[in-house]
Amino acid sequence: MTSATRTLQAADEGRLELEALVAALSSQYTVFTGPKQFVRRAQLDTFDRRLRAAGLTLEHQRLAAGEMLILRRAGGATTVAVPVTGLQWPALAEVLPTGPLREAIAPVTGIRALMVTSDETRRLRRLELHNEDGKTVARVELDEPASAAAAPARVSVRTLRGYDNQARRAARLLDGLGLHAVLDSEDNEPTLVAPMSRTNREVPASVLLTAALGDFLAAIRKNLPGLLDDVDTEFLHDFRVAVRRTRATLKLGRPALPEVMRSRWEPAFKGLGDMTTPVRDLDVYELDLPTMRGWLVAADPADLEPLAAHLRRRRTAQRRTLERRLRSVSFGRLVTEWEKELAQLADTRDDADQEHLSAGRLADRSISGAYQRVARGGAAISGDAPAEDLHQLRKRCKDLRYALEVFAPVVPEVPRKRAVTDLKGLQDVLGRFQDSEVQRQALRGFAEEMMAAGTSAGTVLAMGELIAHLDAEQHRAREEFDGAFARFTRPASQRMMHRLGCRP
Amino acid sequence: MRVLATYNIKGGVGKTSTAVNLAYLSAREGRRTLLWDLDPQAAATYLFRVQARVKGGGHALVSRKRPLEAALKATNFDNLDLLPADFSYRNMDLDLDETKKRTRRLGQLLDSVADDYDVVFLDCPPSISLVSENVLHASDTLLVPLIPATLSLRTFEQLIRFVADSQGSRPEVVGFFSMADRRKRMHRDVIDAIPRDGTRVADTVIPALSIIEQMAERRAPVPAFAPTSRAALCYEQLWAEVRPT
Repeated sequence: MTSATRTLQAADEGRLELEALVAALSSQYTVFTGPKQFVRRAQLDTFDRRLRAAGLTLEHQRLAAGEMLILRRAGGATTVAVPVTGLQWPALAEVLPTGPLREAIAPVTGIRALMVTSDETRRLRRLELHNEDGKTVARVELDEPASAAAAPARVSVRTLRGYDNQARRAARLLDGLGLHAVLDSEDNEPTLVAPMSRTNREVPASVLLTAALGDFLAAIRKNLPGLLDDVDTEFLHDFRVAVRRTRATLKLGRPALPEVMRSRWEPAFKGLGDMTTPVRDLDVYELDLPTMRGWLVAADPADLEPLAAHLRRRRTAQRRTLERRLRSVSFGRLVTEWEKELAQLADTRDDADQEHLSAGRLADRSISGAYQRVARGGAAISGDAPAEDLHQLRKRCKDLRYALEVFAPVVPEVPRKRAVTDLKGLQDVLGRFQDSEVQRQALRGFAEEMMAAGTSAGTVLAMGELIAHLDAEQHRAREEFDGAFARFTRPASQRMMHRLGCRP
Repeated sequence: MRVLATYNIKGGVGKTSTAVNLAYLSAREGRRTLLWDLDPQAAATYLFRVQARVKGGGHALVSRKRPLEAALKATNFDNLDLLPADFSYRNMDLDLDETKKRTRRLGQLLDSVADDYDVVFLDCPPSISLVSENVLHASDTLLVPLIPATLSLRTFEQLIRFVADSQGSRPEVVGFFSMADRRKRMHRDVIDAIPRDGTRVADTVIPALSIIEQMAERRAPVPAFAPTSRAALCYEQLWAEVRPT
């Protein structure tokens, strides 16, 4: 196994002469110089940089001799190199060859696709340093730019396990040429989500709201290309989350925002959210299908293949509609005008400050109001309450969750996090209840469509099993609701909400 | 981590060639692979051009005075490391005998590098000994090279009984014919006649080819220096049969 030991470059970031490197190393080693080769290096990661967060780097190297995927772990602990052919990005980890590489990558990337985060062509010379037995005891790689705009030439000394001292010795020999150490792969990429900073409670609420809305607009823009290219399902998911957060923020911010937000932008973002719902619903069914296959007792998992095909067909049609709308002039205008609106809001907030509703006061009012609506709504749910009541309560929970998130910079951190945790428990139960309800109805609808198209009895029976499973799951969630709600309203939880400004 | 041991009570049957070539093929597929050369003759160590020396000898490893990790050496091939042989391994039985759980110690030592490797090959010395018992307990698969001869089959039967009689977890035993010469009638007869019921015998037969002997001269696995040779293809077929899934 190898790991990067040291990377060096010329003091003036200029050329490195191969002959000089070989001459320096030849004093201690027999140096075998590999042929000059061009390598195209594509760094791969998911859009939300899951590999980087897990301390992994994945590089797709394309040389004339073939292609390799190279996985490195942070700290240079291990390098795994696997020959590959014909891989195209973006793609899910399932396209990786079976074996340790996929085993290391797939659990980290999950449902997110690997995509190229940087792509560069370099000129490489590999030097093998042999001892007197012909054993390679260190490797040196001269890595030069293939174009003027690329990063400067570098030379790396790679340690082979058990030969650390040899790599150090080789590095010392290169030091003698006056080369400077380069810090290994410093990642200057900005993070996708800026860390939330604390804000003074007395700042005008409109300032906090405008900043939050600006962040959500940035998220909408960042996810749009991946959504249009259908890279993976999470671009649409994250796009929708940003839209939903925008809507929630507009609603929470009504007392501090101009009327135009309510009259124009709330309906505009509702329309945008609704536009994306059909594809997202179909994404969820497709993602859930492997789990659903495991629910079958009597039917064969293969019986669900016609359902999978039906979902794919519907998704293709719905995506076409969504893509057309997202590429339309009206969507482009919506985004541009929304950006202008936010800029205008930021410029004119001095006038708005005349009323001066502080961020802290709006936070207290919003969180308190949302909490009371959840508490009242939950208490009113009796044993025979219709599903619609639980659905309404779920929406109220979402409002409270958004209030806790939007006003995070101006409320105490510890009680807020605990309140979110408590709320998540309740949301989970309500989510399972509602999802089961919706999926059951959707499956019934799909079954009718498929029967009209002449699908087999086996498939319909298998779908019947799924509906029965969902029915049982909904009952389970309903039974768990009372306990989850009791936990949410227990005295300790109420004290926490009180610290967030809620009146009991 | 899956552990495969090339083992036979007899010597000179192709254990080391098999371990070296299959370990190379495993690494070539991207599996992080370790080969532990347990044979004090150090043939595998020699083939990988590594010095047959472990600081503190086998005693330091077995007694855990030195961690296994400190003795590991990278080979010239990506993803493939070697734990070299040391002449002191000739006394490994005695070293193991001094430890607690003396028949499990090698497995315990391998556990310390379980996160670093996907596949481990144990190239074993020819004998039935305490080292062998350790190998049985540490391995998931015992690869047994068989020269197609009557006595060789008798030894195979002894080995199967030895494994069956051992306590605790037992490896899967997979025999395969090695150094086979189809021009010899006896070889053909033995290969055709070996009972395959109850005992797994690989379909692949490794022929006696001079290119395999050249490994000692080239000091490299066959698929590395003669990738399109018949021998390389045979080892690839054998690996396809025994490769951990």
